[in-house]
Amino acid sequence: MHLHPVDTARRTGVPGNPLAGGGVYRVGGGALDDAEAVALAQRGDLDAYEHLVGKYTAAAHRAAALLGAGDDADDVVQEAFVKAYRKLRLCRTGDTFRPWLLAIVANETRNLHRSRRRRDALVLKASARAGEPVTGPDEPAAAALAAERRQQLTAALGTLDDLHRDVLICRYLLDLSEQETADALGCSRGTVKSRTFRALGRLRTRLDAGRREEVDRA
Amino acid sequence: MPDDDLVRELRELGAHLVTAPAPDLRAAVRERISARSRPVLLSRRWLAAAAVLLVAALIAIVPPTRTAVAEAATAVLRFAGIELDSGPADETLPATPSPLPGVRSTSLDQARRLARFRIAVPARLGEPETVEVADPDATGAPRVVTLLYRNGTIRLDEFDGRFEPYFAKRIAAAGVVFTSVGDEMAAWVPAPHPVSYIDRDGVRREQTARLAGSTLIWQTPGGAYRLEGIATVEEATAIASSTG
Repeated sequence: MHLHPVDTARRTGVPGNPLAGGGVYRVGGGALDDAEAVALAQRGDLDAYEHLVGKYTAAAHRAAALLGAGDDADDVVQEAFVKAYRKLRLCRTGDTFRPWLLAIVANETRNLHRSRRRRDALVLKASARAGEPVTGPDEPAAAALAAERRQQLTAALGTLDDLHRDVLICRYLLDLSEQETADALGCSRGTVKSRTFRALGRLRTRLDAGRREEVDRA
Repeated sequence: MPDDDLVRELRELGAHLVTAPAPDLRAAVRERISARSRPVLLSRRWLAAAAVLLVAALIAIVPPTRTAVAEAATAVLRFAGIELDSGPADETLPATPSPLPGVRSTSLDQARRLARFRIAVPARLGEPETVEVADPDATGAPRVVTLLYRNGTIRLDEFDGRFEPYFAKRIAAAGVVFTSVGDEMAAWVPAPHPVSYIDRDGVRREQTARLAGSTLIWQTPGGAYRLEGIATVEEATAIASSTG
């Protein structure tokens, strides 16, 4: 069984590495920084924009996936890049391109949820990663505990409503700042702050309730 | 701040979540932004995507099966009065599984009078064709009440679910996806899997083991529920949400 039997031919590129595909260089050497790339792309330079697409596809794809786009993440990200290009004049300075793009990705993902009336749940990987060291006889038990804890955490996240889940995903799983999260979710920074606080409280309550049930049954 | 640990766990969780490898979109995006006059057609693979995700979910929850870690990671997750056992299904199922102990048919009203937990009827399914009560205590109060629909192909088991296990499911092959019913957590087992009854003494009744169809499990303050025989999680959660 394959996790992603679709269109493997499309996945042969090296997104996230702008130098791998003949990236854009400025005169005098060195890769374009975002501000320069945005400025060039705003004047219609498609090479400059392609540089940004290559650099931020991985981040955008991961954001779409974690926000629930599932296997539609490819479509969401492609649409987000096209829309971003069309309104690139609204992106004021280059160093805000990443959060600005992620805001468009988040918005596209929400549109997707509306159109198909569901969002894909977060899915845990099959097992501990190969890179995790197993050093002693106690490690398997510790790994199992950690895996169970992650399962509980994932399940508890799944019970939050979209607003509270999204704010936690943006802040902590995607590691956006409060301001970037505000941009991504289309709300104020104060709202992000209070919503994050509430969401953590709810998550904590759900986790504790789960643990109490376990204790009751033990 | 007391939530620091939780924040750290959330930051760490990201690394353990399944996200597909990112495609290279440079050519596709370039084609679209350089040919604006062409109609924009997004590929819509939602049905295929749903199927792929289901498969991904099945694989995702299965613990590793070869190593020592695998043995330890064969976790039993207790949820809504049901033990979800992720160990391998090595047992053989009885050819003719026994029904739940002491099961008998009755009316919905009678079941409501007898049971000590709230009997819920999903508006989306309506009045059940058959109502069964099972495993009564000394006073005749049933431990499980089952509503059956469409000649028994749809089955809603209801029980208290708060303090002790009622059913054991082996979900190694089927997997489980966490979702929600209203504001409550729910678990969806999307494929056939063995289920057996756990009696009052906590003993798994192996003679009741049978292959159950896809099942949604959820809990409310009033009781716990196991809805079997609905093909999609969307429909199952819609039915569950209509339960009053």
